[in-house]
Order: sequence, then structure tokens, then C-alpha cells
Amino acid sequence: MSGGEITVLEDAAFAGSWPAGLDPATNTTGGSNIAMNQAIFGGLFLLTADDDGSNAEVTPNQAESYEISEDGTQFTVTLREGIEFSDGTPLDAEAVRWNWERDLSNPCTCKPTWPLAENGIEVLDPLTIRLTFTRPYPAILASFPASNVNWIASPAAVEAQGEDDFAINPVGAGPFTVVSNQLSSKLELEKNENYFKEGLPYLDGLTFQSIGGDQPAYQALQAGQAQVYEGLNTTPLLDQAQSSGQMQVTIQPATSPYVIQLNTAIAPFDDVRAREAIYRATDFEAINEGIFGGKYDVSQSFTGPGGKFHQPEIEGYPEYDLDRAKELVDELGGLTVRLGTISNYVATQINTALQTQWEEAGIDVEINDYQLSGVIQEFTGGQWQAMLQTAGAWDPAAGVGVGFRFASGVPYSGVNDPELDQLLNDAAATVDEGEREDLYRQAGELIAENFYAPFGLAFAPANLSAQGVYGPGITTKIPPILVNAGVIWDEVWQEQ
Amino acid sequence: MTTATTSPRVPVARDPRVSPLSRATSSPVLRLVVKRLLMAIPIMLGVTILAFWVLSLIPGNAAQQLLGPEATPEDIAQLEEQLGLNESGVSRYLDWLGGALTGDLGNSIVSRQPVGDLLANRLPVTGELVLLAFVVSLALAIPVALLAAYKPNGLLDRVSMFVSTMGLSVANYVLALLLVLVFAVQLGALPAIGFVPLEDGLWANLKPLILPSAAIGIPLFCFYARFLRGDLVDQMQQEEYVTTARAKGIGPWQVLIRHAFRNSSFGLITVVGLNLGALIGGTVIIEQIFALPGIGQMLLQAINTRDVVVVQAAVVIFALVAVIANLVVDLLYVVLDPRIRHDSR
Repeated sequence: MSGGEITVLEDAAFAGSWPAGLDPATNTTGGSNIAMNQAIFGGLFLLTADDDGSNAEVTPNQAESYEISEDGTQFTVTLREGIEFSDGTPLDAEAVRWNWERDLSNPCTCKPTWPLAENGIEVLDPLTIRLTFTRPYPAILASFPASNVNWIASPAAVEAQGEDDFAINPVGAGPFTVVSNQLSSKLELEKNENYFKEGLPYLDGLTFQSIGGDQPAYQALQAGQAQVYEGLNTTPLLDQAQSSGQMQVTIQPATSPYVIQLNTAIAPFDDVRAREAIYRATDFEAINEGIFGGKYDVSQSFTGPGGKFHQPEIEGYPEYDLDRAKELVDELGGLTVRLGTISNYVATQINTALQTQWEEAGIDVEINDYQLSGVIQEFTGGQWQAMLQTAGAWDPAAGVGVGFRFASGVPYSGVNDPELDQLLNDAAATVDEGEREDLYRQAGELIAENFYAPFGLAFAPANLSAQGVYGPGITTKIPPILVNAGVIWDEVWQEQ
Repeated sequence: MTTATTSPRVPVARDPRVSPLSRATSSPVLRLVVKRLLMAIPIMLGVTILAFWVLSLIPGNAAQQLLGPEATPEDIAQLEEQLGLNESGVSRYLDWLGGALTGDLGNSIVSRQPVGDLLANRLPVTGELVLLAFVVSLALAIPVALLAAYKPNGLLDRVSMFVSTMGLSVANYVLALLLVLVFAVQLGALPAIGFVPLEDGLWANLKPLILPSAAIGIPLFCFYARFLRGDLVDQMQQEEYVTTARAKGIGPWQVLIRHAFRNSSFGLITVVGLNLGALIGGTVIIEQIFALPGIGQMLLQAINTRDVVVVQAAVVIFALVAVIANLVVDLLYVVLDPRIRHDSR
């Protein structure tokens, strides 16, 4: 079970891109670099699940336990005793405090958006640290495994190397340590001999290699040059991989459905009629059947079937109605839309299909696809019109969850709706799961009622692996908190 | 083929005016080199200005990229100031130029690593790739063209021209994937991805470069073979010196190789020189597919992250290569054709 070295491929357009390095305090692409971060830093918490992806929950990892106060305003973390960074310095409450304060003081928007009270980070004893919030914030736990605050860097190493070099040569207390790091190209890691879990990691070496998309990745795997590929989404290749039997295919539970974000802040979608026209002209069921052979679920709200509070149907959801769409377009005197998305197979196929459907309703559509950074630039530029995106997260309150897409002031929707903000904030602040579910249902209804953004296929990428390579998230299912499932690299093993 | 307009077969008139430059340099070859290097200055300046300007037209900048999707305008403004991105385009360009002229290409805005180091890591990869592609393409194209031209419209000619037409019509990324499918996946003979530095041994280094250089080199080979074959056939059919040589009783192979090929090589060299730019452009996609950490991959990432400093460095390299390639083409003319050596242009 022990030993061996594997190479993991990551798509250059997404997880295979870490241009600014891997320092948790400055890594804006952290959401896509979860795999590297888990391998180097381990993480205070992990999202774990049964082998079939059910019963997913956030479990302590470098943390030993946690406690959320009854009123939801305090979050106390107790660390495991005796954990050391790979440079030999202790991972204790002081180190965690130092990291969190550094995360918070950094201008990077990867910093946590905690409603932190003044002096809200307190070290209670060498292994205990407490966060105090200005309002109830129990959702903090769900957001941890995909947030940069989960990755604790060695303060001594940051100080010794300086921030710039630390980003290239990060030091944590995870299962692996950095041997070499060629940004956005290749990251070579070796076993951390100082790792706190007895007998782990199983592998001696782990290399992340950026590659130009699904097809080359698939072939490199076939050629035996790599053992794992995270995030396959090209449906024909998925079918081929499943039928060939050459490799293991694990389709992860879908947590985030696609959503067509409409920029409600500017024309044409500041006009509710234009938004309704898009809802009425869009038939996701037909796209699912026609292009993907009915492989995916279609959702009318922001969580897929693999996530919490999944609601396949929303009351009052504006269904496909071509005649109504044409009527609205006529009323508007025509409608021209620029529709963009990230450059991956499923997304670009959907966009092409949407273009066809919308044109049937008389809407002129220009489609574009971008790299991850390009999408971000478009959003922050504010002049985008429609963008196909994934909508939610495993827990709607976590990471790039529904708030990230729909809260007032974020650049992703132009939506500025205090009522929706209130619902989302209340849902995030509620401890009771039944109450949360109800609040999210209301939020889904509000989005539909105002035609803010139609939801679509709930799709999750697959992980491919060579025969003989196993691990949680690779050959078992873990719901992706954001996009790719969080592989637990210390437990990945290879038949020898 | 318009590229063969500098045909040496046209007698070149001497220029009666003698420039100060030519007085200073007695050797015509040296004069040519100096003149070309001086001409390179405005070209390089133009290219870098253009790159700077074009990148500034794309929405977004590195500060936004570094701060991530939720950055507030205040955060962005603050970081822009730190990075000097708030200064005018002209002053930023002049700053960069001042540094570049003194050998300091600056630090990447995104990774903060010295650009000189990035280039030192990545140049050998792209350099090897391009060199191998050239060697492959020319080593195949020349014999194929000679064989084809030996008997125009013969079986060999028709087969080779058919194959090369096919080869030309395949996009190089499709070819790349096909090559991987056959040689890496099916036969398991060559690696599909990766790069091994030369320090780890010559064969280890060459092995992963064979498929990518073939993916670039095969379409080039097809192009060169067709071009050279056409030129050779023209020479053999129309030129008086060929008739003269034949009349002297020189064998057909000798006429083809010693006479026609020598003349046709001018056109070929021109085409090869001009191709170099496109060839480097092709490496961007190929490096991506084969996961090669070269300049092309670096350029693509830098454009995505609006890392102007890195883009500029890559552009300078590409422009330099083009300028040097042109210079080498001209020098080869001089070597191959004595008439040019005595010309004072």
C-alpha cells in the first residue's frame, strides 16, 4: 500500500493554473488550487463522505475538534497536539492566529469575509483559538475546506524566505513538501517525513502537471505518463473512458448547477422583460437530452443533487415558452446578447445550444469563451451581459456559494436586492437545518420571481485514474465544495 | 511565390554612392551585419510599443488579477499604485525600456520572479523544440523534393505531393493528438507529455521532444517539400544554365543537385526564414498540448494574467528571433552567391 510516485494532471484553464504561487494569503486562484493546497498544507478541516458520496460532512483534520456557540457568534477550534510544519516549527494556536491575521490584512480578495468582531481572534491556550463574530455565523464551518484560511502556512518559513519566495516554495504541515515549483506548469512534491498522521501519506512522491485540456490529458493517462486527471468534463471522452475499461472513472456528485448570470445592472438585462425573455427562450431539459444524453440533472435552484438543500423544482419558476419569449423580444424591439463562459467542454456546448435556442426566439447572440482569468476580468470589468457559470456550492453558504453570485455589490450579477440579501444572510446565520432549507427555498423563489438568472444542468466533473491508484475523492466520491472534488492526498495509494 | 523575389539570378547593379558606414567597414559581410543590426533597433522598438499598447486595450489589469474577483475599486487602486500601474502608459513603457536596455527585464507583476530567470528556464525548451522541428522538416523535405522533381508527374512525385497536401491541410494540434495516439498511446514508444532537461542525458531530453517537434515539423516539411519541388521543376524546365549543363553531358542527378538545387535553395532559405515567426507562434499551442514549459506557454499565461512585463520579454525574444533569422538568411545569400559579396548595398 505504501510507496510509489504518481503524476496528477490538472487542466491549464482551471486548476492547472497557479500564476501567483501557492501562498494561502495571496493565492487568488485558491478555489481552483485546492488539490495542491491540500497536499502541501493539509488543512484544518476536510470535507469527507461515505464512498458513494453520501453523508458528506466537514470533519476536523489538523483541528481536533470545534465548537459553535449556541447563538452562532463564536467558533472555537482546538488543534491536535504535536503537529509540526515540515520545517520543524509547531502548528499551534499562535501559528493559526498569525495566519488568519495575515490573511485578513492582505488586500487579496481571497481573504475571509467573516463578520469578525473587534479583536475577534483570540488564542485561549496553546492549542485553542476562538473567533467571535458580530452576528451569528454558523456557516463558517461549511466554508472552511474551500477557503484559504483552512491552509496554515509556517510563519517561520514566511519570515525566513520572504513572501515572494514563500509563494514559490510554500511550507506547511501537510502530507507532502515542495521539491520544485514551476508556476502554472509543474509542482513536484515528496512525502513529508514529519507528517502528523502515523503511516501516512502512502505515496513517496506526488507531481501536479498542468496540461492543455481534457483530450491531451486523456491521452497522457492512456500512455501511462500520468495516473490521475482531475476534472474531466468532455462528455464523449467520459463515455469512452467508461466503456474502454482502461481506467477508473469516478463521476463526482453534482453540487453546483449551471446558471446563466444576467448582468441586471446594465442594459439589456436591467429591463425585466429582457430577463424574462431569456428564461422563456431557454430549455435546459432539451439541452441535457440532446447533447448530453440526459446524463445530468436539471435544477431550478442553486444547489445540485450532491449538495445540501437541493431543490429540483421551485414554485413559480418561469418555464420554457417560446411564444412568450418571441412576444417579449418584439416588445423590446429586438434583443442582442453577449453570452460568455469559461472554456470547457460542457460549458461551451451549452452556450452553443443556448445560442441556437435564443435565436429561435429572435434574440441575437454572440458567444465567447474565456480562461478562468478572462472570466474574472470580464466580471470585474462590469460590462459583461450574460455569463454561464456554476451557481452554488456543497453548502450554499460556503465559498463560491449563492451569496458569491447573488449578493448585492458582488460583480457577478448586478442583483441589488435587500430582500434576497436578507434571506441569504439569515440562511447562513441559522443553525437549524430545516429552517435553513426553508430560507433557501424562499431565496430560490425570489430569484425566479424577479427573473434574475435561470438555472440549468447540475454537472460535476469526473476524476480519472489509472488502474491500481485509489484514494478518497479519486476512486470514491466526495461532493465538490466548489468544482473539483476535494481529494484527500495523504490517503491516496498505489498498488505496488 | 513572392518570397523568392530576391532571386540572385537577376544581376544586381552596383550602387555608386558609398556610405560612411561602408567606408568604416571594409568587409561587405560585416557591413551587412552592422546595417541589419542598426535596422533592428527601430523594429524592436516598434514591436515592444505595439505589444504594450495592445495589452493595454484588453480590459482588466494585473492588479485586478492579483486581488481576485471580489476586489473593491479602492483595493485595486492601492495595488495599482504599489505596482506602478497607475502611471501613464508612456512613462511605464519608458521605465521598462530603460531597464531592458540595461539588461534588467524587471520582475513579473504576478509571480514577482525576475523575468530574466523565467526566460533562462524557458528559452532552452522552446529553442530545442523549434530547432528540432526545423531539422526534421528540412531533413525530410529536401530529399523528398529532389526525388519528386527528378521525374515530375511520375508516381513518386504524385504520391509525395498528395501526401504533403494532406499534411498541410491538418491543423497542428490535430496532428499532435494523432501522433500522441499512435506513438505514445498505441505503441507506447514515446512520451505524451513533459520535458526533461538536457542535464538528465541527451536521449532522455530528446525523447519527449520528438512528438511535439514532429507536430510542428511535419506541416513545415510538407510546405517546404512542395515549395522546393515546384522551384526545382521550374529550374529544370526553364533555365538556360540547365540546358547548357545538360548539353555538356552532365548527368540528370548532378544537374538537379549541383545546379538546380543550388539555385532553388535561395527560395527555400527565404521561406524558411520567413516561416520562423509562424513557427514560434505554433509552439504556443504545441507547448500547451505537450505540457512543455517553454516561452509559448509562458506567453499564454502572461497574457491571461495581464502580466505586461512578462509579455514584453516574450515579445522581445520573438522579435529578436525574427530579426536574427532575417539576418541569417541574408548572410546565407552572401555565402551562396558570390555576386552579392561584391555588391555594396
